[in-house]
Amino acid sequence: MDTLINVAHGFGVALQPVNLVYCFIGVFIGTLVGVLPGIGPISAMSLLLPITLSGTPESGIIMMAGIYYGSMYGGSTTSILVNIPGEAASVVTCIDGHQMARQGRAGPALGISAFGSFIAGTFALVALMLVAPKLASVAIAFGPAEYFSLMVLGLVVLTFLTQGSMAKALLMACIGVVLGVVGLDSITAQPRLTFGRVELIDGIGLVPVVMGLFGVAEVLLNTEQAIKRDVINAKITNLLPSKEDWKASAGPMARGTILGFFLGILPGGGAVISSFASYALEKRLSKTPERFGKGAIEGVAGPEAANNAAAGGAFIPLMTLGIPPNVVMALLLGAFVIHGLQPGPLMITQNPGLFWGIVASMYIGNLMLLVLNLPMIGMWVQLLKLPYNILFPLIILFTIIGVYCSSNNVFDVYVMIAFGIIGYFMRKLGYEPAPLVLAFVLGPMLENNLRKSLILSQGDLMTFVERPISAACLAFAVVLLIGPLLPALRKKREMVALDEGV
Amino acid sequence: MSNDTNVKFRLNNSELWGGLIGLALGGFVVWSGLKLKLGTINDPGSGFVLFYTGILMCLFAASIIYGALTEGGPTLGSRWEDARWGKPLLVIVCLIAFSFALNPLGFLLSAIPLMLLLLRVVDPVRWTLAIPIAVLVPLGMWWVLKRLLLIQLPSGLFEIG
Amino acid sequence: MSIRHPIGIVIAALGVLISVAAGAQEYPTKPITLIVPWPAGGSTDISMRAIAESASKILGQPIAIDNKAGGGGTVGPATMAAASKPDGYTIAQIPITVFRLPLMQDVSWDPAKDFTYIVHLTGYTFGVTTSAESQFKSWQDVIDFAKKNPGKVTYATPGTGTSLHIGMEQIASLAGIKLTQVPFKGGAETNAAALGQHTMLQADSTGWRPLVDAGKLRLLMVWTSVRSPNFPDVPTLKELGYPMVYDSPFGIAGPKGMDPKIVAKLHDAFKKALDDPAVIATLAKFDMVPNYKNTEDYKKFVVEVTESERKVIDTLGLAKKTN
Repeated sequence: MDTLINVAHGFGVALQPVNLVYCFIGVFIGTLVGVLPGIGPISAMSLLLPITLSGTPESGIIMMAGIYYGSMYGGSTTSILVNIPGEAASVVTCIDGHQMARQGRAGPALGISAFGSFIAGTFALVALMLVAPKLASVAIAFGPAEYFSLMVLGLVVLTFLTQGSMAKALLMACIGVVLGVVGLDSITAQPRLTFGRVELIDGIGLVPVVMGLFGVAEVLLNTEQAIKRDVINAKITNLLPSKEDWKASAGPMARGTILGFFLGILPGGGAVISSFASYALEKRLSKTPERFGKGAIEGVAGPEAANNAAAGGAFIPLMTLGIPPNVVMALLLGAFVIHGLQPGPLMITQNPGLFWGIVASMYIGNLMLLVLNLPMIGMWVQLLKLPYNILFPLIILFTIIGVYCSSNNVFDVYVMIAFGIIGYFMRKLGYEPAPLVLAFVLGPMLENNLRKSLILSQGDLMTFVERPISAACLAFAVVLLIGPLLPALRKKREMVALDEGV
Repeated sequence: MSNDTNVKFRLNNSELWGGLIGLALGGFVVWSGLKLKLGTINDPGSGFVLFYTGILMCLFAASIIYGALTEGGPTLGSRWEDARWGKPLLVIVCLIAFSFALNPLGFLLSAIPLMLLLLRVVDPVRWTLAIPIAVLVPLGMWWVLKRLLLIQLPSGLFEIG
Repeated sequence: MSIRHPIGIVIAALGVLISVAAGAQEYPTKPITLIVPWPAGGSTDISMRAIAESASKILGQPIAIDNKAGGGGTVGPATMAAASKPDGYTIAQIPITVFRLPLMQDVSWDPAKDFTYIVHLTGYTFGVTTSAESQFKSWQDVIDFAKKNPGKVTYATPGTGTSLHIGMEQIASLAGIKLTQVPFKGGAETNAAALGQHTMLQADSTGWRPLVDAGKLRLLMVWTSVRSPNFPDVPTLKELGYPMVYDSPFGIAGPKGMDPKIVAKLHDAFKKALDDPAVIATLAKFDMVPNYKNTEDYKKFVVEVTESERKVIDTLGLAKKTN
């Protein structure tokens, strides 16, 4: 019953008018930066950190948290409308979300992602209230060996993202790993594959790669087809998901939420892996996996729920151990410390008002986001009615601005244009960009953790099998790989035949 | 939809070229890995993962080439059939020109001509619509970023923007 | 309307030189990026954020923190030295590894030439911790175990060549034991490694403090010259019989060739920030003692520290092989 009293206390804090105002400002800014590709929550939060200093710790942190989960709502909008993922976690949303938009179903796609986000976000908060202290141990149960195996599992998942040839997808994944490790080696500080270009010492940015491969390449593909481009503004049937849409999405949302919540607890790429994993899971469970990649609503609902639940799960290691699992959480940690608070094992008992107040405010913030986002769907769909010859220069302009703003670096604009051109030819030859992006994110972590676990085990490869979590991840990966091998081979043949027919 | 499975070895097979590019990249990665030193199994060096990833790349590329040789594949030309290939090429040329202009000219002086070109070269938008869009949208974005979000877009040698 | 200043056209006509001079007078006109070469959330990151926060109020422009972690805190400064313009809009925290790593391996920067040193700020309190559930109750337990199992004791550091790595190796050689270093990317990661017992020990700056306070980690020793007021029961290196003190002092610098006027402006702002009560409170939280040096003294200090590091590295046999 303690929990109930605490929750009531928390709502007392969160419902104070000043905190409601801060919460609204936070989610509003979050929605804005989420919709603009490239300008992510990180740059918005670091710029606004000083503003939070004027108020109480509660209101400052409530606003910062609002920006974070608010941007998670907005992140899928450009993925669905124009095939530009604003961040790595919404790459998967592009696959089916944009296809839905092309079929005139942008409304249901946006609607289901807003509702999915709301439901997952709410569940994650309830779970955060009930089990946060108990789950703290999950975050630290993962050492280098466990991370390595989880990354391997993550990369195996990508075989489910492909519609075409497996060999091509795996080749793309390897290229992704290689691109991911460009720059100074994080263990020895040696420059790798930088070709003497100083800009590459820092590595290749994720935002320019993703926006080039998806956004610019998509525009190039579309401009070559005179007729196809009108498909996007065919007739727009519904603005909101229908009953059938809900029926199809309920299961994926529930599974995505649970998957996302647990993966979100892990420091590192939790949100990204969970969205890819949810997509793979739904495709595997589906009776009609061939619809995936062609506008299946399950492929939007699951990953969107997963990445929002992950945003909730990410609070657990921060609040209970003081270990920030990602850069955004680290910024929140900075906000805590600047206000003279130190998140850690003692925070919940020493500062219950703050902890429960923040959790309660996130619940209110999620509600605000739903109210804020639903009416905007109509507006976004109207955007698609613009003729493509006006729309595409705008898309290019926004990607350029977004990429520049994400790093303040002109070099990143060049990188984006280069990857746009490469992405265009890749797609022409039947190579898909999604595996490359997933491997690009996971590759550096895979490498770093492999090397650390080998140092720890003194070169003994058995370490990956002897540790239970690691062994479970690897076993799951093997099952995924070998299980559907035969049907997959058959399907591959069919796909090749289809390709040739075009 | 025709049955193409009996296509034999052809030089303009697009699958073959894709595989060859992959093989070349794989070879390069293996070589870079070796150059960066593999280290030992209990203290892997900077090139360790690159080396093995490169080997995997070569394997996958080889299997694509094998597939291309035994099963054939669509020709390079067929990939661009029914496509207005000149249009994406024009857009690419515009983008490359833009990237050369961005640094010296700054954001506004390079983005406005880029927008105007893109609006006119693919499916021409009438001038009365193209000019206002090309001028007002970059200007509006620049203003919002500079004034509201405090982000400075490149201003170039002439310090405009 | 689109031209910011009426004199903009004149400046353009007079060429780049004058526009640079005009830029110096107005500096800073846009947000400044401060590269912190450690992951967000560690003790360096949080204290630099507090200092930057205070300095930004003085400069009248926001200072954005850019976390470029890796290479024991050298990736960030190395990237800045190679890629940034010396216009004062990109500066970096300079950890001691920037001077040490070039002695140990081939690197892309020269600490004597590639930076404009601005101001020296503070140093750390280092300590060695282990999980509360660990078999090690004191440092002597570690030595006893390591004597029986050479190389089996693993310790997490925030990177190869950091003071923590060098210090631990020096301690090990004095104690006659062999330890295995596992380089992580900073405090958040080494905390998790020690908590989850993935490594037996953690050697890091005071990011472990809340966990030690909560009884989740056990502090075995601190590397300061006297005991920390926050942990009066924990022995120093000297008390354990190792005649050393490690505090790894740090400051900030920009790329080489910065305008002295801009350097002075930044120096003054950061110096004032060190007197800000909020900054003092944050530093105290991490047991960091302010260690102010002005631009000239900082430059001299760089030369001295490089020499003393060279001696330590040589005795440990970690020096770069010159062939």
